[in-house]
Amino acid sequence: MYDLTGVLDFEELSAVRPGSSILIAGPAMTGKEDLALEMLADGSRQGQGALVFTTGDRAENVISDYRERVPDLDESKLAVVDCRGESSRSSERTPGGSFVYHLSSPGEITGMGIGITNCLESLANSGAESGRFAFTSLSTVLTYTDQKTVFKLCYVLSSKFDTADYLGLFTIDSGAHDDQTLQVIKQAFDGMIEIREGEDGREARVLGLAGQPSDWQPI
Amino acid sequence: MTGSETPVVLIVEDEPDVAETYNLWLADEYEVRMAESGDEGLSKLDEDVDVVLLDRMMPGLSGDEVLDRIRESGLDCRVAMVTAVEPDFDILEMGFDAYLCKPIRSDQLHETVENLLERSTYDDLLQEYYSLVEKQATLEATKSSAELADNDEYQNLQARMGDLQTDLSETLGGIEDDEDFIATLRGLGDVEEQ
Repeated sequence: MYDLTGVLDFEELSAVRPGSSILIAGPAMTGKEDLALEMLADGSRQGQGALVFTTGDRAENVISDYRERVPDLDESKLAVVDCRGESSRSSERTPGGSFVYHLSSPGEITGMGIGITNCLESLANSGAESGRFAFTSLSTVLTYTDQKTVFKLCYVLSSKFDTADYLGLFTIDSGAHDDQTLQVIKQAFDGMIEIREGEDGREARVLGLAGQPSDWQPI
Repeated sequence: MTGSETPVVLIVEDEPDVAETYNLWLADEYEVRMAESGDEGLSKLDEDVDVVLLDRMMPGLSGDEVLDRIRESGLDCRVAMVTAVEPDFDILEMGFDAYLCKPIRSDQLHETVENLLERSTYDDLLQEYYSLVEKQATLEATKSSAELADNDEYQNLQARMGDLQTDLSETLGGIEDDEDFIATLRGLGDVEEQ
């Protein structure tokens, strides 16, 4: 079981089944990506594998940010798929030992599969028997392709991580899409963490992982 | 795949003896169509075809060219490439769903066709599941939870979605190994660069 309460203190997050995928939804600038990466970092501190799929940051920035979160990081247990499209499809191993896969565009769905497969293989070779995956952000992919494709993509990725016993965390900017799109996309996931800006700061609630939705709590 | 009808396999192979051997192996279980060239293969291809066995080295249109035409046509059949030597390139990158290396044994051929049909089943289930999720979202957006509780369509929808989730998790052929996983994602369609 994955215990996420060290990052977000909710009863529902104390024992998340391996293979679960969670959607993290909230408006822009509410710290969704930071939350997902912190949940990954928490696993890395316990020796788990970490796979970051980024549409917004360069792989080298993801890695240096990650080093700050996990100072004694075994970098061979960190892998990154970077689809900012600054190079054509290629892979590299950084001097620190991280495996990085580059895609030419966030619309390159086949390449995502190849990149993720290669990253998982590299993490397994580094001895990571379990791990966590962060996809930041689905909103970018939704600007490249339609709701149907993104739903299916999420469903297939969730199933893949289920068979690998990974924990999946996917962020989406709830302000960038209509309610119907969010209603559809969230069905591809086992649960959802919602974030909002309350009167006294940020609040979160957890839905779908255990019984009724939790109450909003300040974070 | 077209429902419960017999799946259709199209064999595109320029050597008649080889093609006839495949036909003998497959004819009991599948409806088999045969073509001796790439051009003939394309003319016998339609939405009923589930799996294409495509010889890579043929006079005239090569297997690679035929594959490109098939993908351009938008037909969602699965294509297994038949080669004389083990390919030293990534067949998935090229857009094939599987490859078979000559000489092919009967059990290999059956296994490959079955595996490709299972992938198609997974895709169909996923498409149906998506349609229901979309309907559910529309109903939820337009009706109150009290109305939904009394709505037969909504109740049936939820039951069907539950069944489909079970079917999908039992049809792991779509994602079970890495090849299946990548081929399934490719089926979702890449967005062409502008």
